[in-house]
Amino acid sequence: MRVLLVEDDAEMAASLKASLSADDHEVEIASDGELGHSMASGGGYDVIVLDRMLPKKLGVAVVRELRDQGVSTPVLILSALHDEDHRIEGLNAGANDYLGKPFSTRELLARVRALWNGRDREPLTKLAVGDLEMDLLARTVKRGGKKLDLQPREFRLLEYLMRNSGQTVTRKMLLENVWDYHFDPQTNVIDVHISRLRSKIDRDFAQSLLHTVRGSGYRLEA
Amino acid sequence: MRPSLSLLRTTTFRLALAQAGIVLVFVIALLGYVYFATVGQLNADSDLLADQEYAALDRAYGEGGIRRLNQEVVERAARQGPLLYVLAESNGTVITGDFQQLPAMPIGTAERVDFNFERLDEDGNDVRGRARGQVGRLLNGPILLVARDLGDSALISGRITSALWTVALFGVVLSIASGLIGSWLASRRVEALADTAHEVMGGDITSRAPVRGENDEFDTLAIAINAMLDRLQHLMQVSRTAGDAIAHDLRSPLTRFRQKLEAALEAPPNVEADREALRVALEETDSVLDTFTAVLKLARVEGNVTWRFERVNATAILRELVDFYEPAAEDEQRAMKGEVEDGLYIYGEPGLFTQAVSNLIENALKYTYESGRVEVRAVRRVDGRIEIAVSDDGPGIAPEDRDRVLDRFVRLESARSTPGAGLGLSLVAAVARLHKGGLHLRDGLGGQGERKGLGAVLVLPAMANS
Repeated sequence: MRVLLVEDDAEMAASLKASLSADDHEVEIASDGELGHSMASGGGYDVIVLDRMLPKKLGVAVVRELRDQGVSTPVLILSALHDEDHRIEGLNAGANDYLGKPFSTRELLARVRALWNGRDREPLTKLAVGDLEMDLLARTVKRGGKKLDLQPREFRLLEYLMRNSGQTVTRKMLLENVWDYHFDPQTNVIDVHISRLRSKIDRDFAQSLLHTVRGSGYRLEA
Repeated sequence: MRPSLSLLRTTTFRLALAQAGIVLVFVIALLGYVYFATVGQLNADSDLLADQEYAALDRAYGEGGIRRLNQEVVERAARQGPLLYVLAESNGTVITGDFQQLPAMPIGTAERVDFNFERLDEDGNDVRGRARGQVGRLLNGPILLVARDLGDSALISGRITSALWTVALFGVVLSIASGLIGSWLASRRVEALADTAHEVMGGDITSRAPVRGENDEFDTLAIAINAMLDRLQHLMQVSRTAGDAIAHDLRSPLTRFRQKLEAALEAPPNVEADREALRVALEETDSVLDTFTAVLKLARVEGNVTWRFERVNATAILRELVDFYEPAAEDEQRAMKGEVEDGLYIYGEPGLFTQAVSNLIENALKYTYESGRVEVRAVRRVDGRIEIAVSDDGPGIAPEDRDRVLDRFVRLESARSTPGAGLGLSLVAAVARLHKGGLHLRDGLGGQGERKGLGAVLVLPAMANS
């Protein structure tokens, strides 16, 4: 995947480029907002990773102008400012995701993949991973034709995992997208929720679908 | 350098000057009144009398000529009375009358005069005095003067006038003197307060303004200043403690971090051990970053940032939180229970509210023992406020320590072994203040002996449930 990284801190840019390249992405770097904007306007990128505080043009302005020009490349904003207001400002400008600094590299990689996956998503009524099926209208879940009894929060959690099936989702992504919580719980709450969900969808079946990715998060995959 | 207070520029002195001015104006008004009440009245009477006499003599002259007039003047002058008469030729030579000569003045047709005179009385004594009357040239030239000897009245009014001027002078002098003394006394008190302020500025936060115990306005001010200094001193103490605490909290993980890295570097290369060292280093870095994030968040909540407030469905958020933490609680053999009333709404920032309650729940989970209980109860109180109580049956906090734990970075010794930067409750308290509410600590769900548990109670203003 071709990634445009707009970041003015050269050391940070080099380190992020190394991580993204190691994750099989082709990375180009723009060192200020104006350059980033002109490179992005040309198209040809699958995902844009944009720092918020940039020389010459701020990240939020870059996104807004890109969207006004009709460029719909998914954008992830990186920022040390990640209060709700800042996040909302970034998302309203047209960004697809917003990640507060400091972040872990795994978090960034997972989100870049999720952005690529999530683009042009059709409104779906049915999701399927292997023999696991979810009907979003009837709000039912079946595995191998057998109906599973899920609580509402388990349903939401599974829906997010299924929508991002095949790729790693971090605990932070789950917190933000399933619960809309933007703080870090000190306890292992997410792990417990996952293990409960796992006991419902995997326990009685030979093949496990919900995998733990050590140190990163989880992946639902057939 | 401090500018010394100049006595002449003080407020009290200016007030004294104004007061002196008022005394002066009053005396002048009094003077005017006395003058018109005495001299003025006297003059009016004299004028009337002199006019009548002058008119009568003028008539006599018209009827009987100069001879008749001369006769009348001689007769009237001989009479004992307050009036004085002079008849003179047109060139000013006196024909007959009480004076040997006319007052020195140009003379036209009948007009008012006010003059000093000098004459011999019946006994041949030289008499000086002041007179007032009417003088004028009659038809064909003779000059007639009819005047009234003002006698002692001029003297009396002169004395009254000079007495009043003396009083005025004393009044002004006294006002200025009392102003000087007053401003000197006041500026001594003010300088004492200023000295305190300068000592504090100079670095001695323990300096206090002197209180005389006179309950006057300076004491009131001094007491207020001292109370302010007490508060500042406490805050400085707290932030100094916070500074020490943050240094301590960051030092420990950084030191461990450094040791692991050093050990890994010095040991013979071993991929497994190196990776382990890196993993530990990452964890320690995360813990340092967590502390920074918490400090910054607290600073933002306590700072002057304007948060976007909105109507927040507290009931939904609280039930969701209980639902969120319940599996984790159960997993660790804690019984978690939520009793949240329907229709609780607050006006606030949903993210902060959620985090505040989540901090309380995590605290409760962290400090309860195995098979302990955690309860979240939210009710609308009779006074219309919303009370959210997160209670546990853990070790609790002694009543005397409860205020202190709400200060930043304070973790009781008993909690030193558990992770956390000691900012959780401070953040909750700050969020409560931001929402015009409060956080109080009380006994929790305990009951067995010493263990009373802890109840953290968040009280927030409710919003109408419509």
